[in-house]
Amino acid sequence: MWLVRPALPDDVDQILEIAGAAGSQTARLSSTLPRQRDVLAEKIDHSIASLACNITSGDGRPKRFLFVLQSTSTGRIHGTAGIDARAGNSQPFYNYRRDALIHASHELGISSRVDVLYPSHALTDQTLLCSFSITPELRNTEAFELLSRARILFIAGHRDWFTSNIAVEIQGVQLADGSVPFWDSLGRHFFNMDFETADQYSGLLSKTFIAELMPPNPIYVTLLSEAAQAALGQPHEQTVPNLELLQREGFRAGCYLDIFDGGPVLEARTDALRTLVTSQPKTLHGAFEECGDTWLISAGEGSGFRCTLARVANTLEGTLKVPVGVWEALGKTAGDEVRIAPC
Amino acid sequence: MLIIRPLQETDLDDLYAMTQKAGKGLTTLPADQGLLQRKISLARETFNQSCAPEAGLYLFALEDTEAGKLVGISGIQARVGLDEVFYNYRLSETVNASKELGVHVRTPTLHLTNDMTDTSEICSLLLSSDYQGGGNGLLLSRCRFMYMDEFRKYFSEKVFAEMRGVSDEQGLSPLWDALGRKFFDMKYTEADMLSGLGNKAFIAELMPKFPIYLPMLPDSARAVIGQVHGNTAPALKMLQAEGFNFNGLVDIFDGGPVVEAFVRTIRTIRDSSNRYAMITSKAVNLDVPAAERVMVSNRSFRNFRVTTVPASCVHTDTVTLPPAVAEALQIESGDLVRLAPLKDRVKTSVKTTG
Repeated sequence: MWLVRPALPDDVDQILEIAGAAGSQTARLSSTLPRQRDVLAEKIDHSIASLACNITSGDGRPKRFLFVLQSTSTGRIHGTAGIDARAGNSQPFYNYRRDALIHASHELGISSRVDVLYPSHALTDQTLLCSFSITPELRNTEAFELLSRARILFIAGHRDWFTSNIAVEIQGVQLADGSVPFWDSLGRHFFNMDFETADQYSGLLSKTFIAELMPPNPIYVTLLSEAAQAALGQPHEQTVPNLELLQREGFRAGCYLDIFDGGPVLEARTDALRTLVTSQPKTLHGAFEECGDTWLISAGEGSGFRCTLARVANTLEGTLKVPVGVWEALGKTAGDEVRIAPC
Repeated sequence: MLIIRPLQETDLDDLYAMTQKAGKGLTTLPADQGLLQRKISLARETFNQSCAPEAGLYLFALEDTEAGKLVGISGIQARVGLDEVFYNYRLSETVNASKELGVHVRTPTLHLTNDMTDTSEICSLLLSSDYQGGGNGLLLSRCRFMYMDEFRKYFSEKVFAEMRGVSDEQGLSPLWDALGRKFFDMKYTEADMLSGLGNKAFIAELMPKFPIYLPMLPDSARAVIGQVHGNTAPALKMLQAEGFNFNGLVDIFDGGPVVEAFVRTIRTIRDSSNRYAMITSKAVNLDVPAAERVMVSNRSFRNFRVTTVPASCVHTDTVTLPPAVAEALQIESGDLVRLAPLKDRVKTSVKTTG
């Protein structure tokens, strides 16, 4: 059985393996999943503190959560998924906003559309899904879907902690040789470093260096290389399953782009997310055998949050018949409240 | 005799023929009869003082008096950017640095400016190819400084010239192809033509307003920013000898440099002086090399005339002129005339008194 639960300090080694493996596939899966032990340990601590307190993480910092995907049979961790309650975490959150200007000459009868990228902080302080990574063999499986959507169930259960709009950055185009066309055409000139380095810094350091090095003026799209223009708003092919899942969830690409790789930023209204809308509270009851359809089922508050997949039998009284093994995974017993959402 | 005089209505045909031969690349003088006619009319209004002298277009003709035809033209626009908007790119530097990362990056950047607004420009220099050499180009160019000095109050403190930038035989400009074209969707020569024809408003409407970061342009385009066309190198050298320097602005189409100087420091002006004309009946051999000649001008606003005479004609207080020269300059004996060296280094007594 697959289980999603909050990350714990002991998970560090296994998460590092996943982060490392992601790197070895040439494609970074998530710059917000650090590859340094101390940074990662700090991130887990922050998540634990965030789960324990009501408004902020306890020291005034905005909440950040990190969850792991665990196999209940082996105890091994196969993936991570995170939520930042406030994008930027008290610092500016950088994007490019793709916008258009019309350059028109009445005299010459010419009117042309000029695409421009404006530096933007507009998404700062919005809830952000982040740090998604999963071992390659689980892509396109139900575990993949569980890991991603468990976060929405967490949000449904802790709605006050999150904002009314929600965003997620999708990794942009990176070629087989590791080069990133958008970066090479733009960021490289100003940051004077390769993509990998800048991306790591962005996960590790304060965002001051972005403010210091990023060109302050808007960028004309037409002056980017052809490869960079083609990459604007396009997802990395490895992220397509994730992108499609998020689209089913109700996320749509808007006008924001990642400043490093030009990947799309998806946005949605939190209360319109499919998992959230279709989820329903139920009371847990026992079942002797597995029957019914497979549902996402979550339970617990804060650090007690658990989410798994199970075949459940609905009853008309609002109770749910679930095998006892699932109770244990959820840390719940008969009569407890759970939340389910259709797969 | 070659003489500088104000451009007049009868010069239109010769001027048109000359611009046709000159071909592309001369923004301010396209081969367009209507436009040339308008320019001549503007110049006539200016010299007739039917417009404000501070807003005038002063166009001078180089005439071969024996052939009775126009062989060159040069001009001064007393002020640019008064009724149209005058654009340049300023080549400046953007520095981004992060102490934390030890990164310090300089990014050359082009900013769209109107910095030359209200400044005098020397422009429209064109010399018939049959007359090139022998100091004719110098006369055509430098006569303008004599005029500016004479009527200093009508011109700005600074004067500038836009130098033609790099383009190939087909009239393709690397900067235009990398930058302007992406916004205008027309060929450089077309755009330049429109600009020369006075359709300048379109620039404001279609040009990118935000700064352009040069690393985003191809090397071929970056290489020509601030560089002059091969044909223009001698003109640049001549202006540099006068004291003109690159002022950091470049043409928005082809990246050619803008050079400028304070009027009072221009060499021709510093080295010029006044003498009384003495008309002599003795024969004077006017046919001496350019290095041994000096420019001599009358002091008329409406009928400014300049020609060259041998340096040997210049004396302590006077300059000896044969009757033909005096007639060409429209002066009489005893009139005060202005002298200035034609070439950069001239062994004359011109400097002695002034």
